[in-house]
Order: sequence, then C-alpha cells, then structure tokens
Amino acid sequence: MAGVVKAPGAFAITPHKVSVCILVNIYASPSQISVPFPFSSVSQHNRLGLYLLALTKSCDDILEPKLDQLINQLREIGGLLDHWLTDHVTSRLSSLSSPDDLFNFFNELRETLGGPDSGVMEDDQVILDPNSNLGMFLRRCILAFNLLTFEGICHLLTNIGIYCKEAISSCSSYELRRVDDSGNDFESLSEDENMDLNLVFKKINEEMEARKRATEQVSFHLHLPKELSTLVEDIEVSADPKSEHNDKGRESSSYASGELLRDVDPNGGVFLLTNWQIQGYLMEQADAIEKHGSSFTLNAFELTLRQLQKLAPELHRVHFLRYLNNLYHDDYFSALENLHRYFDYSAGTEGFDFVPPAGCNSFGRYEIALLCLGMMHFHFGHPKKALEVLTEAVRVSQQHSNDTCLAYTLAAMCNLLSEIGFSTTSGILGSPFSPMISVGTSLSVQQQLFVLLKGSLKRAESLKLKQLVAANHLAMAKFDLTHVQRPLLSFGPKTSMKLRTCPIIVCKELRSGYHLISEFCCEGSTMTADGAFSTAWLKNLQKPMGSLVLSQDNGSRNNYNPFLFFTQPSSIPGSVMQLVGSSYLHRATAWEIYGSAPLARANALVYATCFADASSSSDAALVHVKLIQHLAVFKGYKEAFAALKTAEEKFLCVSKSRILIMKLQLLHERALHRGHLKLAQQVCDELGVLASSVTAVDMELKTEASLRHARTLLAAKQFSQAAAVAHSLFCMCYKFNLQVESATVLLLLAEIHMKSGNAVVGLPYALASLSYCQTFNLDLLRASATLTLAELWLSLGSNHAKTALTLLHGAFPMILGHGGLELCARAYITEAKCYLSDPSFSVSKNPELVLDPLRQAADELQALEHHELMAEAFYLMAIVFDKLGQPEQREEAACSFKNHVMSLDHPHDVEDPIQSDTLLNA
Amino acid sequence: MSSKESCRIELRTAIRQLSDRCLYSASKWAAEQLVGIEQDPAKFTPSNTRFQRGSSSIHRRFRTNEITSTPPTGVAYVSTPVMEEDEAIHGDFYLLAKSYFDCREYRRAAHVLRDQTGKKSVFLRCYALYLAGEKRKEEEMIELEGPLGKSDAVNRELVSLERELATLCKNNTIDPFGLYLYGLVLKEKGNENLARKVLVESVNSYPWNWSAWSELQSLCTTVDILNGLNLSNHWMKEFFLASIYQELRMHNESLSKYENLQGMFTFSNYIQAQIAKARYSLREFEQVEVIFEDLLRNDPYRVEDMDTYSNVLYTKECFSALSYLAHRVIMTDKYRPESCCIIGNYYSLKGQHEKSVVYFRRALKLNKNYLSAWTLMGHEYVEMKNTPAAVDAYRRAVDINPRDYRAWYGLGQAYEMMGMPHYALHYFRKSVFFQPIDSRLWIAMAQCYESEQLHMLEEAIKCYKRAANCNDTEAIALHRLAILHRELDQPEEAAFYYKKDLERMEAEEREGPNIVEALMFLATHYKTQKKFEEAEVYCTRLLDYTGPERETAKSLLRGMRIAQSGFPSMDVEHFHP
Repeated sequence: MAGVVKAPGAFAITPHKVSVCILVNIYASPSQISVPFPFSSVSQHNRLGLYLLALTKSCDDILEPKLDQLINQLREIGGLLDHWLTDHVTSRLSSLSSPDDLFNFFNELRETLGGPDSGVMEDDQVILDPNSNLGMFLRRCILAFNLLTFEGICHLLTNIGIYCKEAISSCSSYELRRVDDSGNDFESLSEDENMDLNLVFKKINEEMEARKRATEQVSFHLHLPKELSTLVEDIEVSADPKSEHNDKGRESSSYASGELLRDVDPNGGVFLLTNWQIQGYLMEQADAIEKHGSSFTLNAFELTLRQLQKLAPELHRVHFLRYLNNLYHDDYFSALENLHRYFDYSAGTEGFDFVPPAGCNSFGRYEIALLCLGMMHFHFGHPKKALEVLTEAVRVSQQHSNDTCLAYTLAAMCNLLSEIGFSTTSGILGSPFSPMISVGTSLSVQQQLFVLLKGSLKRAESLKLKQLVAANHLAMAKFDLTHVQRPLLSFGPKTSMKLRTCPIIVCKELRSGYHLISEFCCEGSTMTADGAFSTAWLKNLQKPMGSLVLSQDNGSRNNYNPFLFFTQPSSIPGSVMQLVGSSYLHRATAWEIYGSAPLARANALVYATCFADASSSSDAALVHVKLIQHLAVFKGYKEAFAALKTAEEKFLCVSKSRILIMKLQLLHERALHRGHLKLAQQVCDELGVLASSVTAVDMELKTEASLRHARTLLAAKQFSQAAAVAHSLFCMCYKFNLQVESATVLLLLAEIHMKSGNAVVGLPYALASLSYCQTFNLDLLRASATLTLAELWLSLGSNHAKTALTLLHGAFPMILGHGGLELCARAYITEAKCYLSDPSFSVSKNPELVLDPLRQAADELQALEHHELMAEAFYLMAIVFDKLGQPEQREEAACSFKNHVMSLDHPHDVEDPIQSDTLLNA
Repeated sequence: MSSKESCRIELRTAIRQLSDRCLYSASKWAAEQLVGIEQDPAKFTPSNTRFQRGSSSIHRRFRTNEITSTPPTGVAYVSTPVMEEDEAIHGDFYLLAKSYFDCREYRRAAHVLRDQTGKKSVFLRCYALYLAGEKRKEEEMIELEGPLGKSDAVNRELVSLERELATLCKNNTIDPFGLYLYGLVLKEKGNENLARKVLVESVNSYPWNWSAWSELQSLCTTVDILNGLNLSNHWMKEFFLASIYQELRMHNESLSKYENLQGMFTFSNYIQAQIAKARYSLREFEQVEVIFEDLLRNDPYRVEDMDTYSNVLYTKECFSALSYLAHRVIMTDKYRPESCCIIGNYYSLKGQHEKSVVYFRRALKLNKNYLSAWTLMGHEYVEMKNTPAAVDAYRRAVDINPRDYRAWYGLGQAYEMMGMPHYALHYFRKSVFFQPIDSRLWIAMAQCYESEQLHMLEEAIKCYKRAANCNDTEAIALHRLAILHRELDQPEEAAFYYKKDLERMEAEEREGPNIVEALMFLATHYKTQKKFEEAEVYCTRLLDYTGPERETAKSLLRGMRIAQSGFPSMDVEHFHP
C-alpha cells in the first residue's frame, strides 16, 4: 500500500516513479542512432526530455499523479507518438508480474546510465549522464529499489497492479468522454466491438456517475477546508488540462474534495503529504480558527481531523486543533478533554513554535499545558479557575525555569485581571508571587496588575520576545489610560506628585508597539519554526499556476520548485500584523476617551483599511462598532443604521457579538430621544441580560447596562429611582476601580439632581465629575461636565447666568470641535437660555445672539430626532420671536414646538424593520 | 435451569460441532464448562471426580449464601434444539481441508473447499480465508510501519467475504456459524449495528458458540446497548450477562450471576477465574488469592487470568509466590502477554523498574491493546521518575478504554508529582467518576486539594469524607479529617472524627502515635468544653503511654480536679499541646 506518509527526505519508490523510469528509458534508450527509434524528429525527442525533466522535478510533490493522468499528459505532449508511448508504458508496467521482473527492470535501467567516465560523449549516442537531473533521478530510484526488502518489493508489485487497474477503468471513461466530444477515435473499432465496448463504457460510466454523486454528497456535508481542497484542485488543474480553465466552481471543488477523500481513504490511491506539510496545514488551520472564531464549521473540520488522525496517529497536534475547534464552538467538555489529551501525548514539546528550543529538558513542558488551560478557562468565562491555573503555571514555569512560558503566563494574567473585574484577589494570587510582589497581598488588584505588567514586560524584554513585548506595551498603555499611577509604597515624606494619568506615557507605550513591525521588516524570517515554511509553500501553491502548463516551449510546468520552500511571501507574520493593528485600535480608543473624535475616527479607519486581512473577526467587528458609533453621534441615526446593516451582513450576528450590543445601544438611544420609553426600557433590559450571562461578567457591559437603566428612569422622570440606580452603579465602579466610568456616573447623578430640581445637590456631583475628568484627561467628558455645571448654575437663578455663560464659553471650543450633535445642541440651547435669563441682556437689541444658536441647535437635533430638546429650542425661539414682536415666526416656532411635544407624549409606533427584528430575535 | 444432564448433552454435541468447524477457542470453552458440571452423587465414582476434587475446599469456605443450589424461579429457559448436521457424510475434501486448517495452512484449506457448497464447507472456507487475511494483515503491519506510526494494513479478504456472506444471508442459506463469521467481518469493517444484529441472530439460533458471545460483548459498550439486545433466554445468556456486567463495571451483579451459575457448573475453572476477577475489582484480595491458589492446583498450566493473580500477589507483596508464578507461566508459555505482564509485575515488586518496563513492552508488542500493561508500565515510569513517559503510557491506556480508572489515577499522580496539583485534579476527578467506591482515589484527590499550593481544605474534607464512607482500609481519611477540622478551628467536628478514628483503631487493635494524638486532643477538647468526666477518661488512658503526653495528661487531670473542687484554675492553659 502506498498510503504511507513519507518521512521528510525519504525517497520511496512508487509505481509512478517506475513509469517515469520507463519513460526515461524510452527517452535515452541505448541505441546508436541520434534520434532513437520511436521518435521522428529531434524536437519531438526534446519535448519528451523536457517533460521528463518536469516530471522528475515534481517527484517530491504532495500527490503523485495516477496513471491515467500521466497518460493524459503524454497525450498532450506526445503528438503522433501518443499511442506508442502510452502503449509502451502500460504494457511495460503490466509486464511486471513477478519480483524478478522488477529486478530485471532496474538492472536494465542501470545500463541506460553511462559509466562514471562518460563525460566524453560519443557522437550519435544518447547516454544519460549520471550527474544530470534525469541521471540523478534514475540513480535515486535504483538505490531506493536496492534498499527495499523483499516484502517491500512485493508491496511495490501489488501497488503497480493497483495503479494499472485503476488506470484502465478510468482510462476507458476518458475514452468515453472523447467519444462524446468528437467521436473521432472511433473508426478503428468494428461494429461488434463497438457494441460491447459501449456496454462496458455504459457500465463504467454509470459507476463513475454514482461515485461522483456519492462524493458530491459527501462533500456537501464535508465542506472541506478551503486550503486543502484548493490545493488538491490546483494539482488537478495542472494534471488535467481539460479542466484547466475552469473557475473554482462548485463542480471542480466537489471533484477535488472527492479526490481528497480518496486520498485519505487508506484503500484509495496515493496520499503523500510529508509530516512537515501536514504540520504546516494544521498551523494554518489553527490560525484560521482563531481568526474566524465560531464561523468556522465545527463538524466538517472535525471530520478532516479524524481522518488525519487515522492516517497519522502519532501526529498529536491534531488533538490541539480539535481543542481549538471545540474551544471556538463553545464545547467546554470536548475542549477540556482534547487539551488534556494533547498535552498528555506531546508533553508540551511540540506545537507552540514561538518557544525557542533552547531549554530542552527531558521533563516535558507541562507548564504550557497549564497556560493553555488557564486561557481556556478564561475563554469560557471562569476567571477564578483561570487565575488558579495560571498561578500554578507561574509556579511550575519558575520551577522548571521556563522563562518564556513565565512571561507569557504573566501576560495572560494581566489580560485576565484587566479584562475581568475582580474586587479582590486575595487567596488566589498568593505565595508564588512573593518573588515578584515582595510587598505582600495588601495591594489592591490594580496595583497587583501594575506590578505584574511591569514584571511581565521586563521579562519579555530580557527574553527578546518581541511580540510579547509589543503586547505588553499595549497592555501597559491600556492600564495607563485608565489608571492613575500611585507609588506602591507610601511612607516617608510624601513626595509631591500629580495624581493624573499621563497621555504622553500612553502614547509612548503605543508607539513602542510599532517598533515590532520595523524589527520584523529587517530581520525577515527568524520566526520560521517548524512547519511554517510548509505553510508558505502551501500558500504558494494556492496561487494560480501558469497556464502554459504543457505548451511546447515551456517544459518546466512546475512553478513550485523546492527552492520556494525557503522564500516567504511576506516577511511579516500574521500575528505581528494583528498586534500592530490592535495598537491602532488602542489608539482609537485612547483618543475616544481623551475626547478627540477626528483622531479616534482616523485611527479606526486606518485599522479598518490596513489591517482588515490580519485582524480577527472580533477586532474587525470592534472597529466597525467604533465607526458606526461615530456616525450615530455626528451624523444621526439614519446613517448609522444604514452602516449597521452592512456591518451585520459582514459579521455573523452571533449571540453576544459586539455588533449586537451596539445595535441595542443605538436602539436605546434613539428610543430615548424619540420618547419611546417602553421600548427604551425593553432594550435596556436586553442589554442587562447580555451583561449577566453565564460566561464571565463583562464589567464594561454591566456598567453600560445599568447606566442606561438610570438614563431611562431619568427620562421617565422617576428621579429617586434613577438616583438610586446611579448611586449603586457608582459604588460598583468605585469598588472595581472603574474610574473613567465613575466620572460618567457622577455626571449622570448631577443631571438627575438638576432635572429633579435639586440644583444645589447636583453641584457637588458635577464638580466631582470634573475633577475625575481632569485626573484622567477626559477632555470631552470634562467639557460636557462643564456644560452641566453651567446648566446647574443657571437653574440656581438668573443672577448666576453670567457665571454659567463664562463656564460655557470656556468649554465651547472643545464642544464644538469634538462634541457630537446632541452635546452641541445642548450647549447652544444653554447659551441661549443664559442670555435670555440674564437681566442685563435685551433681546430686541441683539436678537441674533440668541436666535442663531437656537436655529443651529434645532438643525442638529433634527438628525437625532431628539424631541425633548427640539421642543425646548422651539419654545425658546417662540419666546424670542414674541419678544421681538414677530407673530408669524412666533406661530411657526410654536407650531413646531407643539408638534414635538405631541410626538414626545404620544410616541407613534413607527415602522422600524431593524428594531422589530431585534426584538423578535432577542 | 435445564437439568444437568441435558446441559451436558447439549455441550457434548456443541463441542463436537464447534471443533468440527475449527472454532477451537469456543469448543475449548464449552469443554471446560462441560467438565465443570457437577456429577450426580449417584454416579459418584472416584475416577470421575478426580479432576474436581481439589475445588471442594474453597467451595466450602466461600459459599456463604446457598443461592447456588436453588435455580432462579420464574425464568423459563428456551431449549434450543441441537442443530442437525447437514452433511451426514463428511466429504473427503472437507477432511483434507480441516487437516490443512489444523496445520494453519488456511489458504490451502480454502482452496480445497473452493467448489463445495455444503454449509459447513462454505463456512470453513470463509473462515479459513478470514484467518489467512488476518495473518497477512499482522505481517504487513510490521512490514509497513510508517514513520508516523500509521499502519494501514487491512484484512484484504474482508470485502469479498462480506459480499459472499451478505448474499448467503439474503438467500437465507446461512447457518449460525456463518452468521458469526459475518458478524466478525462486519465488526471489522466498522458496521457495528448490523454486526450486533447478525451476532444476536447467531447466538439465538446456536447459543453454544462462546466466541460469538464474546464478539457480541465487545460490541456492547454501554448498558443501553445491552438492554436493546433481543436475546432469547438460554442458559448461555447467563454466562454472557455475567461477563458483560463485569466489563461494564457492574461487579456485584456480575458476581451474583456467576455464583448462580456455579450451582450448576460447580467445578468450572472459567467461572472460578471470573469470580476471582470480579472479587478483585471489589478489592477482596484475600479471597481472590485463595481462589487462584485453588485454581492453580487444579489447572497448573493455566496462563489466562493469571495476570490478575499476579496483581493480587503484588499488592500483598508476596515476593516468592509471585516469582513462583512467574516461573511457572514462563515455563508454560513465554510469549503470552499475560506471562510478560506477570514477570513485569515481579520485577516491579523487586524495584527493578527498568527490567519491568522491558517486559511490559514485550507484552504490548504481543498485544497492542493490552490495557493493564499500559497502565502498569505507566506505574513503572512513575517509579523511575520519568513522568512524561508515564503520562504517555497512561494516556494510551485511557484512550483504549476511557473507563480505566487506574490510568486516570496514574495520570493525576504523575501531574501531582510534577507539582501541578490543580492540573492533576482533572484526572483525579475522572478517576473517581469511574470508580467512586475506591477510597484510595478519594484520598489521592484530597491530598491534592490539601497540597500547599492549592490549600483548598474545604474540598479536601469533602473528599476525605467520601473516602471514609467507602471502607478506607489504610485508615488515612478519618485521621486527616480530624486534623483538618482541627486546623480549620472546628473542634466539634475534629472531636467527632478523632473519636471515630480512635474507635476504629481500637477495633483493629492498632497502636501508634495517632492514638496518642487523638487521646490528647479529645482530653483537652472535653476539658475546654467543661465535660470533665469524658476528659478524665481520655487523660487516664493517656497515662498508659510514655512520653511528654503523659506529663501533660497528669497536669490536665490535676487542673481538672482543682477546677472541680471549686478553686479557680490557675494556668492550666500552659499545657495545651
């Protein structure tokens, strides 16, 4: 049987090679004539020679062509000799009926080769130079044959038998096709034979059809991984010129997958992927799974893996792929099972190519298993378990002094700590950290996180793990963005220190992430560990082949020669691209927080355009979310929803995707603006459900949900309840150190108190919010807090109008430059109100000073359908017109006012496909 | 149950028929049961029972409940008519073919029968072809070992055999033996459902073919499948059920079935060995040893099941008995996986783990799916501190049979050795899931929880409680429970467990530091509880021991007397341990 997976470098003699040898023998038959017997011209002879060169070069291919494919190719090049050549090959092959025939055959081959001193060629004699390509090939074949045991020879013999038998059946079907096409090969057959043959053909044809149908059915279920099927397809293309110009349509791919199945089937033909190539394939699949997440089909891949495992039971990485597959399809138990199985078998010594092979102790590297297990628990939302496992991983890697793993583990821990809210880690993070955290467990979670981050970064730098360094810098940036750095120990005279976050540090951290890419650019392929080059090679195969496959002047039909093994299509690995891309995402977020809308948008756009290929689907979704949110704030809902629709088409709307969350957010905001309070509450509840899912509590989402809850209550004028919700939310934020969110909540509290008529109570909240904003450099939020403060002052009485106006004017540049539509409108209205309530201001003298902002506000609010504010704006306008004595315009404004108040009170249930959809789905 | 005599007649015919069809292991099995049937006392002659004499002692010793003599009522056994031979006159060709077959020249045998159409001839031809294919397959497996360990050798006869047998089956011209072979072929081809169906049909029409039952058993991996089988009530079914219950780890059910069967087949070595195995799974080592000793006395050249015996001897650390056994089996048959396993066990007991691994490897070479060899080899690697190899070996065992709790336990142990207790917990959990009655597993898991890295004492307590509930022979659980509760500052619970531990130690008449510790704790505990009478009892018992505790007890007593006499206690607290 030939279904043995070759060891790298093994040169096994196969039936295909035997037929190539036969051809070589024909080409260089030891005769005295310059153009040996069957050939009629030198060019014909040369053409065969070129073809043979191509064949010998491709003899290390993944798949060996079957005899019928070979015959087809011969047909293409042979021209007139076609029949003679095929007949000769097949008859020669079928004449090999005993082991002794094989011995004789290879002895004959030896005669074809010239002696060692045949450098001097006699005229008119074709002798194969032993050092030429063909000569080398022959010598390799002869050597391989001589190394065979007698059993091996017997197997070769049976394989040749199968090889011929297969060819005969499919060859006749080929004939049949020809008959169907033109029917010109038919004359030679007499009528009777014709009949018989027709019967036979019919039968075979039926069989072929059935088989084809079967494979089609199978491939329908299978949905084979694209790479492998296209890979096979490509080879098909080069082998079968008829289908060469086919598109990669359904038919050919189903054929190809059938092909693969046949190859995988141990009773089938030849399946010669080397170990490296399979490893490469698996790595690529791993990347694909991680990138596409759950959109990857579970069962199809599982089937492929099962077949692979059957073929190569010692290839343990298959288990790892299974683990990944299960992981991304949320099958906890199978994932756990496969993870354990993989590490039990491999002892952590294969896979994970980024680990330098330096520390090869014989004890296995089970700490990597722990790292993986921890990440798995994290993925499935068991943060506590994950932390326990990672703690063990830290201890074990320290014990085995596997610094690389330690660095990665620390990074994973940082990630865990920063992503998931822990109010305390005492009891979990304990003794093993004593070497790093000498201070003990009196630190808060944030402080521990900081120490961990620092330690991890230092370790990664000293180990020169560039990707990890970059990732750590990003994590550091994230930390700096939202946390004030305080000294870990505060004894002695208090040093004067500013309690603020520092945007410069954030920028610095983000920037140092970019260095990664430049380093990769100059260093090239230091990353190519085992299997990676095979992947590159596979990729190369996927490129369309030259279509001049068998044309006369181009004998070397194989674009993929072994040298391509060492060149990589791109020197920057995908993971690096992903990292660099995510640094752009971080930037966008940072600018969002700092309040520069254009910069945030620009960075998001850069990410979406440049890194879309390399990004994982969740990151890509995130960037879309950011862009759509931007649209909603600055352009109104109409455009945002239009964009959302395209985004939804692009990303599978899985249960907890960011897109879905954002959709709910948008719906909620619009409902609030339109005054659909019931709907708003409903959407809000849905968000709450998402936040309290079985997987770990997403703190971000949780705060978001309750913030919106408070907002809805506020809009419903249930002030005391709203205040209670906001208050408890603030307590939570304080507990989990969510300081940026705290600022927002405080501002909301101030607003609640203002609306409930308690401006005095609201003031301290607004001021507190302001100070938070200052600390964290949240400029936009600060502007909005200033606006609220101004509103508060204003509602304290008309004598404070001046103060309010000064405050407002101070915030105006920021608001107008970066604020969204609603914020600007509010600012305008407040400005107008300030003027109006200022006793020293007279409308009649300077009406535009008031009217202009009001008009602007009304314009901007139009897009948001914000009825409440619009009503206010028109009300103010009507008053101004009244004072100016312009009754017509006053009536117009009053009418608009009435309309908006009406629609606010009676929210008509507007058609909304999106919204009804969601509610149905949810 | 049908009478002994009819049973005997059935078996006699069956043996002849089976061996005529070269189904040797089935006929061997049937013959063993035949001589296992107790002779009627009326026909008692010394020569008849010579073979059975040795067994009597053990039956007297262990037949505690007399269920054996009373057949279960209400179960009507179908009587399957003994099949009539279709070819009264054996063809000469058949005789030739059978002799070829007996000389293991399978293809030759098949060739001789190529034109014969009798059912028997067809069966023998197919069977010979099947065996020829199997033989070739095994040879090819070695010849074609790929670099990735893949051997895709297949029995090349399967396809044609399946086709032929399927046609026979369709035409209804197949006999039960043909059905058995068809089932075998189907199983090998992976068509398990049909294979089950065919095998059921085979055993229903001809129940005496034990090979068919065994194949059927290997296809029933869960109780649900077993319950789904439509088997007619023949006494052979009892054997089947007993055997499959054992495989499904329903040891008690299996044991009662076997004991039932023993009523009829009193002297069957097979049943005796199976009972021993069941008892081994129930960890009744003493009895197992007696049974095996008895078995070896009757059947000194037996190799089957002797690996279980060696396991018992290993656990009981009987060096010489184990070496004797090893010597004996190696003289009988050196190249049996069981023999290699026994030798491996012996070397392991001697602490020569490298050699032991060599023998386990040999056992595995002889039978790649020999489960216990993988597990035992894992144990050896653990001893040799080669944990990755141990993990690998255990994992292979687990992948062969995911219910093998020993291998899961071994995996857990290996990881615990590497200082990964949290990771090890996963395996311990698996292990206790499959064998919840084994206290050692629970204790191992508890120790894992207790380890300084995890220090999850609450969980450890839960595990120890489970261990204490399932007959903890080594008496670790109670003691640990007491200590843990003391550490967690739960004196009531601690006192409870110390008391229990003390009672147990008294019952088993053990001595040791644990007693002193328990007494000491109880004395001080009751004293602080102001239950002076109890405290006094424990203090007085402490006086029997030497050492510092004695002095402490004395002072405790003194303190209590002072307290009882109304004097304010001074500084008794000094003497707290």
